[in-house]
Amino acid sequence: MKHLPTHRLTADAKMAYALIAPAALFIAVFMLYPVFYVIMMSLFKTNKLGILQQWVWFDNFTRLMKDPVFWQVTGRSLLWTAIAVIVKTVVGMIIALCLNVEFAGRKFARMLFIIPWASSVPISAMLWKWVYDHEFGLLNHTLTLLGISNPPVWLGMPTWSFVACIWVDIWIGIPFMALVFLAGMQSVSRDLYESAEVDGVNAPQKFFFITIPCIKQIVFIATLLSSLWTFNDFNTIYILTRGGPAGATDILITSIYKNGFEWLRFSDAAVMAVVTFIILMVFALVYARTYFRGGDDAL
Amino acid sequence: MKKAFLVMVLVALLATTTLFAAGQQEAAKPKVTVFWALYDGLTEEYRQNLQDAFMKEYPNIELDIVPIPWDQVYDKLTTSLAGGNPPELSVIGTRWILELLALDAVEPVDKWVSKTTLDNIFDGTKEAFINGQLWGLPVAAGARILAINNTLTKKVPATMEEMRTEALRIKNATGKYGLIMPGKKHTELTDFAYYLYSAGGDFFEINADGSYGKCIINNAAGVKALTYMVDVANKDKSVPAGYLSQTRMESHPVFYAGDAGYVMIGAWVDSALKQAGASFDVTYAQIPPFAGAKPAPLVITDSIAIFSGAKNKKEAGLFLDFFYRDEWKAKFDELIGFPPVTKSAATLPQFQSPLYQALNEAAAVAKPWPLIEGFAEMSDVIWDAVSMAYLGQKTPKQALDDAAKQVDAIKATYE
Repeated sequence: MKHLPTHRLTADAKMAYALIAPAALFIAVFMLYPVFYVIMMSLFKTNKLGILQQWVWFDNFTRLMKDPVFWQVTGRSLLWTAIAVIVKTVVGMIIALCLNVEFAGRKFARMLFIIPWASSVPISAMLWKWVYDHEFGLLNHTLTLLGISNPPVWLGMPTWSFVACIWVDIWIGIPFMALVFLAGMQSVSRDLYESAEVDGVNAPQKFFFITIPCIKQIVFIATLLSSLWTFNDFNTIYILTRGGPAGATDILITSIYKNGFEWLRFSDAAVMAVVTFIILMVFALVYARTYFRGGDDAL
Repeated sequence: MKKAFLVMVLVALLATTTLFAAGQQEAAKPKVTVFWALYDGLTEEYRQNLQDAFMKEYPNIELDIVPIPWDQVYDKLTTSLAGGNPPELSVIGTRWILELLALDAVEPVDKWVSKTTLDNIFDGTKEAFINGQLWGLPVAAGARILAINNTLTKKVPATMEEMRTEALRIKNATGKYGLIMPGKKHTELTDFAYYLYSAGGDFFEINADGSYGKCIINNAAGVKALTYMVDVANKDKSVPAGYLSQTRMESHPVFYAGDAGYVMIGAWVDSALKQAGASFDVTYAQIPPFAGAKPAPLVITDSIAIFSGAKNKKEAGLFLDFFYRDEWKAKFDELIGFPPVTKSAATLPQFQSPLYQALNEAAAVAKPWPLIEGFAEMSDVIWDAVSMAYLGQKTPKQALDDAAKQVDAIKATYE
């Protein structure tokens, strides 16, 4: 007679479950429940406190999809993320390459580069708000000294305010990219470069055919994280422009806040939050799929 | 392994028990949280002294006066209400009261405050008296006035047209700014309201039964007001060059620095000027109407409300009784520069200056905000219309037509 395998938990397994339980409970209460509630709010009519009132199926979604402002805001969010992440990646890579070269004061330079990342985002944003101030700001003062008599009203004109906000997000995010890329570069074996030099390979070729392939996985992860953070960067825009002038810097995350906590339209805010969730989820899944497919090629 | 597990469980139990005991100890002392709007002129020293003095008189009550910039009070309050954790008390714009009533979020304040305190407050300032009950004590009430920098001009304009001409002269003659014009959206729609009311306009038509009808910001008066604002800013350029990036709070320091001739402002101007160390003479006058219209400055009242979801309402009432004594409330009024709302404070010598005379004169003809649900969202829409007109994206007429349609649509969602 054949004995069926028993599924009794070992003492170690019990201990593991006991240790994991508080964290699992914490995640369920503070992360899964709010996500579930937001999804419910998007399918319900809510009152001014966000309490569910009446099931309306997808009425909230269809109403919002018909609103041109929603599409403008969604498009602006994608543009904001694309520009910011591309610039952060390119500039971060250049800085990482510079910091990877042996020179006197390299450690000090690395320390300096971490400052924007180490500072809190609201403080950085407030600092830049003062820099951009038209009357008393450092930027326009400098531009005036350089002979530019009518410098832009950085936070008052639609295009300039978008540029100004995006620059602050980039400024805050570059150190992270640079340091992650630098860490990746330092893990590449020196032997590869030495062999390449013996074969007469020049510097750009070394970068494109050795460095980039070797740190590809790191670049993937860093840009994925940066995209998620940039798409959800509420602090920078809220502090600098609050989405203005006339909505010119409103992105999905600021619009969610405005609809939810300024206008108390929680259903609309929930719909936008669900759309944001879907966009980021699809993006992350596509990215993860590419990442794991490329895993076999990784060095 | 079993021993280690037992030790861990014991440690966890001990920690929980200690924390629980600490919590119980705290819970024994009722706590009153106050969302304290940071008016211009109000100092941290005053807030701290008030908090300490109250806790000295009532050692069994813990008082937490949370300072919040004015622009963020509404957001902070709605967030705390939505989160089910309202404060005991908060300073509110009285115009928010209908929204708070619809949410069943506020308590009648006269239930918790003594008769002596209530009787000492001028009836005319009790704007939050709705449906036979008082839903908030007036904390600040004052009409808006015109402040004039005498170093740049001595002209007291009789009309908006005169003010525009003089503002342009100041700019050309001195290189300073003629007029302060906040062009960046902030919580209040005050700046558009100054011009709209001065042109004889209003936000809504009034139905025969006294209720609000259609939005009429796009009528001749509204268009006249916005056209004036755009022309002064973009044609005359007699306002600060960066006006589009300045909220009300960010633009006023330009006046305090002596760099502008006129500013339409509240009663806090006097104490703000003192705190900024301004040394120039200032004349206080009425906001002028447009030619042919009657003067109608904006009057704003803020209240302090008790929240129904709060735990310690009785103690909140005790704090209000304490705060409305002359020792504290009159000092508060003096710091923020508003005329007193209490009868006893009104007789004090510090409230007999020319500034308060101008404020009293303005109060006689002043006009308040419409008391209508959804006004925060409507204000936002109108602000965007004003910004679009400033930016030249729409003409004043187009911008206000579109905004009026949107405001009517928002209003319909509340009917």
